Amino acid sequence: MSRAEFSYDFPHRHLVSVADLNPVDIQIIFERAAHHLAANRTPDKRSDVLRGLTVLNLFFEASTRTQGSFEMAGKRLGADVVNFAMANSSASKGESLSDTARTLAAMKPDIMVVRHSATGAPQFLAERTGLSVVNAGDGMHEHPTQALLDSFTLSQRWGEVGGRRILIVGDILHSRVARSNIGLLNILGAEIRLCAPPTLLPSDVDQWGCDVFHDLDEALTGCDAVMALRQQRERMSGGFVPSEREFFHLFGLTHERLEAASPDVLVMHPGPMNRGVEIHTKLADDPEKSVILDQVESGVAVRMAILELIGANIRKEAVA
Amino acid sequence: MSTTRAIINARLVDPASGQDGPGGVLIEGGIIAQIGTELDLDAADEIIDARGCILAPALIDLRCAKEPALTPDGETVDTLCAAAMSGGFGTIVLAPNARSPLDKADGFAGMSRGLAQRGVRMLSACGATQGLAGEQMAEIGLMVRGGAVYAGCGDRPIRDTRLMRRLLSYTSQFDVWLSCRPADSDLSADAVALESDWSARVGIPSEPAVSERIAIERDAALAELSGGKLMIDRLSTAAGLDALRHVRGRDLEIAATVAIAHLTLNEVDAGGLDSAFRMDPPLRSEADRMALVEAVTSGEIDAVISDHRPTPFDDKGEPFALAIAGTLSLETLLGAMLGLVHDDELSLLDALRVLTSGPADLLGLPQGRVAVGAPADLILIDGDKPWVCQPDGFASARGNSAWSGRRFQGRVLQTIVAGDTLYNP
Repeated sequence: MSRAEFSYDFPHRHLVSVADLNPVDIQIIFERAAHHLAANRTPDKRSDVLRGLTVLNLFFEASTRTQGSFEMAGKRLGADVVNFAMANSSASKGESLSDTARTLAAMKPDIMVVRHSATGAPQFLAERTGLSVVNAGDGMHEHPTQALLDSFTLSQRWGEVGGRRILIVGDILHSRVARSNIGLLNILGAEIRLCAPPTLLPSDVDQWGCDVFHDLDEALTGCDAVMALRQQRERMSGGFVPSEREFFHLFGLTHERLEAASPDVLVMHPGPMNRGVEIHTKLADDPEKSVILDQVESGVAVRMAILELIGANIRKEAVA
Repeated sequence: MSTTRAIINARLVDPASGQDGPGGVLIEGGIIAQIGTELDLDAADEIIDARGCILAPALIDLRCAKEPALTPDGETVDTLCAAAMSGGFGTIVLAPNARSPLDKADGFAGMSRGLAQRGVRMLSACGATQGLAGEQMAEIGLMVRGGAVYAGCGDRPIRDTRLMRRLLSYTSQFDVWLSCRPADSDLSADAVALESDWSARVGIPSEPAVSERIAIERDAALAELSGGKLMIDRLSTAAGLDALRHVRGRDLEIAATVAIAHLTLNEVDAGGLDSAFRMDPPLRSEADRMALVEAVTSGEIDAVISDHRPTPFDDKGEPFALAIAGTLSLETLLGAMLGLVHDDELSLLDALRVLTSGPADLLGLPQGRVAVGAPADLILIDGDKPWVCQPDGFASARGNSAWSGRRFQGRVLQTIVAGDTLYNP
């Protein structure tokens, strides 16, 4: 059933978790993202659908690409974008998160884009401030825009993500990207495989609706796409694998190993990438297989779609 | 090996099948081709009449040590092999220890290939942590790819519970055993004896037997949590055995080995503070020893190991409490084990099971049994021949033996590996 056959508008004022989305919401996001993707390739990128709205980029963890991507998305839609680098701010002077939230809310922004090292921080800020919140990564919990841009990148190539076999390999235990992707790909009906050493898998992973592997060659068999994840050293305590080279020998993606996968397999990575650890440098740069830069491009388009859809709902509420 | 050999008229003892009766084997191309009393002898190039002898699978040892290469007068691969052959071993596994931690992935595959060139099948385990320090995981995956047959923690237990969990979890993906000494690091720190009347009277650092029980319960709980395969390395007390029985009721993979020293010696042997009896784990009480022997009979012990440990000085050079732990035992293990059989403490089948099919099954090896299609790794034993243990006559380069001067009954006549006789004094 296409969307034209019934009346349904994107209902959300926040994007905190992929679990809040249904397949139609995702379709709406992808349609708008496709529009922006095309527009971003022209010299005439700028629109003013968000004119008058202020987007606050609130990054309690260091980020360059995600923050830049959101900033570019907001600016291309005509919003006023303000970056707060919270890593060296009042939070480090002992202010509680609720006080920070109230202070920032008093400046009357409209949308807060939040990254925080603690699971649940975006939800917490949404509840305390009443503002629209977009989760740009909370601890090891969720990174919904990354999952959306990953599936959008694949849908641009394939049309449909449902029914495809997708492998996520690497540090799944510490990865919010993996958690959001598993949630979203399940909603979209893809077949999900996970591959990692047992030390880098959550203990209840067999309940996640995925097939779990410890042998990469076996896991790659017949895969349509494979996503490599880096080891999140900043979230690790003690050693989970003996060395980077052992990890590469056992779990690193190479051209040879991809021969077990589908001939048109696509290789993805959310970045930042550690060449020679989770992916062979030649594979990362292979334009036939790697869609890593497409993911970055899709990122801006998907974030534009989300800000635009949320912005429209903010205006609707203001009118009401 | 292309010649066809037959061994006839023996008492064929094969623990894997439970057979103990008259019989023989026909060997073709290093493989056992026929078994029984009616062999096709026309095909045989050579016939060995083994009347009055026991024919059994060659022994398998899961834990022995050589000394680091270039150690002056040290136990080399050559002397270790010679000791193994004369002790009746067809397969031995080098295990990591402080002097030779086997923790480097570089060159591991080359070492494994080199060890495979010897007549005796020499395999190697790998160290589970870097330098066996119990702090950082070693490159277990690369070493398993290089031929390591299990991962071992060395002589000391893993103190860090979180690391132990991760080791069990990490090794589970390779389906290899993690072998760990069962002792609580703090309770057993610096201990050289069991906490007992004797150790209290002579005033030496000692550990309570429950140290072993606490460790087994901890490690078994972690194995259950992580899905890892836990090998209890050198079970030595009745308290530890109780814990093993208790955890075996749960859903986990667990195996237990016992060193020959703990099956045949006790703390009274160390009563004179002779450094030869300084062992790791320390020698236990007679009640502990008897419980372990019964556990061999009941099938609760998977393998008896030599824990063969050459040390630089034959007399160990230091008094008991300071001496290096360990004893040579490859050349005396069978004699000591047959002693238990002669004393009616063990049946011959049970004694041989933990030295052949028991360890073979733990590692998934095809040898360790007299079966058609299995490698022709066999020993001929004179079960009654008396002899006296004299370390001067050992093939080993060293002489530190806890059985020095002991009288044994039963000796290896031939050791055959892949159909070739390697030892025939």
